[in-house]
Amino acid sequence: MRSHARLRTLLTVGVALLTVVAILAIGVGSVAIPPTEVIGILLQQIGVGREAAANAGSTAIVMELRLPRIAAAILVGGALAVAGGVFQSLLRNPLADPYVLGTSSGAALGAAVAILLPIGGVAWELGGVQLAAFVGALAAVGLVWRVAGIGSGEERIASVLLVGYAVASLLAAALSLVMLMSGANLRAIFGFLLGGLDGVTWPRLAAAALPLVCATLLLAIRGRPLAALLLGDEGAMHLGVEVRRERRISVALASLATAAAVALAGLIGFVGLVVPHLIRLAVGPDPRAVLPLSAIGGALLLLVADSVARTIGIPVGVITALIGAPFLLWLLHRSRAGYAL
Amino acid sequence: MSTHEREREREREHERASDMQEHADMTPDASYELLGARNVSVNINGVQILREINLKIGVAERVAIVGANGAGKTSLLRALSGTLPVASGEVILCTEPITRLSRATIARSIAVVGADLALPFATRADELVALGRLPHGSGPGGPTAHDHDRAAAALERVGATHLAARDVRTLSAGERQLIAIALGLAQETPILALDEPTVHLDLKHRVEIADLLVSLADRARTVVAIFHELDMVRDLFPRVIVMKGGQIVGDGAPSEVLSAARVADAWEIPVERAARL
Repeated sequence: MRSHARLRTLLTVGVALLTVVAILAIGVGSVAIPPTEVIGILLQQIGVGREAAANAGSTAIVMELRLPRIAAAILVGGALAVAGGVFQSLLRNPLADPYVLGTSSGAALGAAVAILLPIGGVAWELGGVQLAAFVGALAAVGLVWRVAGIGSGEERIASVLLVGYAVASLLAAALSLVMLMSGANLRAIFGFLLGGLDGVTWPRLAAAALPLVCATLLLAIRGRPLAALLLGDEGAMHLGVEVRRERRISVALASLATAAAVALAGLIGFVGLVVPHLIRLAVGPDPRAVLPLSAIGGALLLLVADSVARTIGIPVGVITALIGAPFLLWLLHRSRAGYAL
Repeated sequence: MSTHEREREREREHERASDMQEHADMTPDASYELLGARNVSVNINGVQILREINLKIGVAERVAIVGANGAGKTSLLRALSGTLPVASGEVILCTEPITRLSRATIARSIAVVGADLALPFATRADELVALGRLPHGSGPGGPTAHDHDRAAAALERVGATHLAARDVRTLSAGERQLIAIALGLAQETPILALDEPTVHLDLKHRVEIADLLVSLADRARTVVAIFHELDMVRDLFPRVIVMKGGQIVGDGAPSEVLSAARVADAWEIPVERAARL
């Protein structure tokens, strides 16, 4: 990262690009709506547009079906990419992703249990499954936190990773059992595991938006202590960082962002792993640049992937894996040429 | 006094320290206590690893810390930089007890160059050295143009400008050590502390880094470094602290504290063998 000015330029260009892609994405679907009409509808909604710029049908499609989904893609993609970048810096491990402390397994188990509970329909509509996934994700991180002693100053990075792995394995085993016993509900559980933004409505988005937005924004501006952590705990202390406190804050915020993202969109892989690396490739490893740019990059990636998913009818988690996995392989191949992962 | 006022007071103290450095005329000034320890003891897991340490280091001094493996050299450096909590006694930094200083204030007073750099991601040397500016800023933005200037100046000071765009992880051990020192210099602190800066280096790089440390201290910066090479220490450091079993067993000119008898005692080797070192 050369300087402040360049970071500001990149952020501005990123936000502009994201806006354009979002407007185009709103127009994509079984009923195509041209960008000018989309802009007209959006302006009309905030009260600055001309009356009757669009017909009621288009307005309903944009406002009720597409906009919440587009907004969710932006928020979830940004949150996952920032959380992934934070965990990679915090654990000093390039292979870390947002789910490294067991959030995904915890969320999956929580959602599966909720789907099987005999409360049924009403809980579904009110987002009971989402709430259970959110709680499950946080419970899993809480368990890892306790066992690994995060923030106690005694933790070793390798043991945090291993504890995360162990907890995730345990929860995955429990999930397998639950799925075995789920009978007719297997499909619903499987749908959650695949990840997707199909079911996003304004109320569900609103419920998840507060933790998503707050945690992501707070993380995106916390690059300073994380930059010092590139040098390890001792090195970071020598650069003036209260390592224990910063680790507690960052793990808590990143877990909150991840849990909210998983609750809203299920398990979407690769966004949180790949986007921060892509950004590092362009601007270097300093999290003060990597995190805010990852937020925009993650939003863009998930927005594009979800638009493709909507168009061809494949779950978005499959699309991100199809884009992400080859990209990761390319990155690893490239490491021999310069960008050592 | 509010926390903020106290912080301001410390900043002024810090400025006074830098002023003194500029006017130090290259003569060590022992009257100003830049770094000190009073009866410092440190325990790790119930084992006492530093015992009753007393020392006082002034502006523009050049101090070597020597001793056998496990004598407590690195622990002393960690206690003096506030990363190792003391069980009893007090560490003094810029005339103040270190426990009363914030981590950021400490980082603006003492830079510590560790044993080796291990980085998780590809990192350009100039990006890494710019991290040395972290204690001097606040807020979420990346390094400023001024930070980049200071980082470039630090790289130039150690003669590593040509390495600026290289990935630190691909550099040789000697080059990495230069970059690590540049990182410490970019912190622009009155004290530069180094933990075995010449370990694993060949003769050429050892000489290069030793000469660099001498020139840095000449510029009115206090240099405290852990060394194993006694010949180099005898040549270049006017003051040597000898450690054994967690205690300081010698503190003075090399001719005095590194005599054959005292070396034999500190490293537990025969005197006739020590005499030939």
